[in-house]
Amino acid sequence: MTRHLPHISVIIGFAIGFIIGAGLLTPATIGTAHALTAEEMLADPVLESRARYLSKQLRCLVCQNQSIDDSDANLAKDLRREVRTQLVAGQTNEAILSDLRAKYGDYVLLAPPLARDTIALWLAPVGFILLGIAITLGMRRRAGQIDSGSGSISSADRGRIDALKRRHENLNKRDTK
Amino acid sequence: MSRFRPSFFIPFIAFLWLAIIGGMALQSTLSGNRNPSQLPSVLIGKAVPDMALPLLQDRQTKLALGNFQGQPLLVNFFASWCAPCRAEAPALEQLSEQITIVGIAYKDRRSDTVEFLQQYGNPFTAIGMDIDGRAGIVWGLYGVPETYLIDTAGRISWRHAGPLTRDVITTQLLPQMANL
Repeated sequence: MTRHLPHISVIIGFAIGFIIGAGLLTPATIGTAHALTAEEMLADPVLESRARYLSKQLRCLVCQNQSIDDSDANLAKDLRREVRTQLVAGQTNEAILSDLRAKYGDYVLLAPPLARDTIALWLAPVGFILLGIAITLGMRRRAGQIDSGSGSISSADRGRIDALKRRHENLNKRDTK
Repeated sequence: MSRFRPSFFIPFIAFLWLAIIGGMALQSTLSGNRNPSQLPSVLIGKAVPDMALPLLQDRQTKLALGNFQGQPLLVNFFASWCAPCRAEAPALEQLSEQITIVGIAYKDRRSDTVEFLQQYGNPFTAIGMDIDGRAGIVWGLYGVPETYLIDTAGRISWRHAGPLTRDVITTQLLPQMANL
């Protein structure tokens, strides 16, 4: 094993950390441009902030990887208006989301709901982190066993090792003189 | 040093596993069995949303899909501004000999719809106007054209997003109609 390279678990750890970090940071840093126009906005700031909150969770179904808050597509615009119409009519956030889910399916939600067929998706990141911890611990333990010596070396071998060590030290002393 | 280490094979196994999954996905996409952009409608098996849309010819009268119950029905969302709808027009014309077709003009002006029908033919028994696109949202519409097959009990039994091509009609729609 080459010692000057970082351990593979360290690399994997950094990679996972980087991916999670990037996922958390991008909406805050990049999501500044949005497609909402002034005439779409509601006069009531509370309702408008709820509309924005809901729009960020809803997928633009024709662009597929944008929220309706970000998308310029006509369908996204219609869905934004639908959300606002229902808010003005006094619907709760949950009722609006479940209404659109009944029409477009779970796919309309950017975050897939926790259900039996999505449980693997939700638990996979936790599973990978646990797997990484297990591999790291396993490798550390094995490295520790090699360092401390497990006592399986015979006394004859031990004598040869000691002789070689002495010879090595003597050679080193001679070199440094 | 030369001791056999099973962990040596982990990257190979992982790669092989990914390659098999990717290969299977690619194979099914290329053979046409899988289209990632076609999402199944959640409305399949549910009753048609009756929206009481105003009719094209007479805005006082409302389109009532309930009136068609007892017979299979095709509901086609179209628009005069939609190019694939023009391409689809001859296919609809042909289908109208076998099944009643109701058209819903999606986000269109009446005059434009009338002009479109004069130019490309009118296969529709009735036409409702979805001026603001709200009916589209209630139907879970992605865009136009989009076609829904309704069974005799008034439930949606099949949906196709995009134009009805000869292939879609023969491999999907006609077998579905035969099942009703």
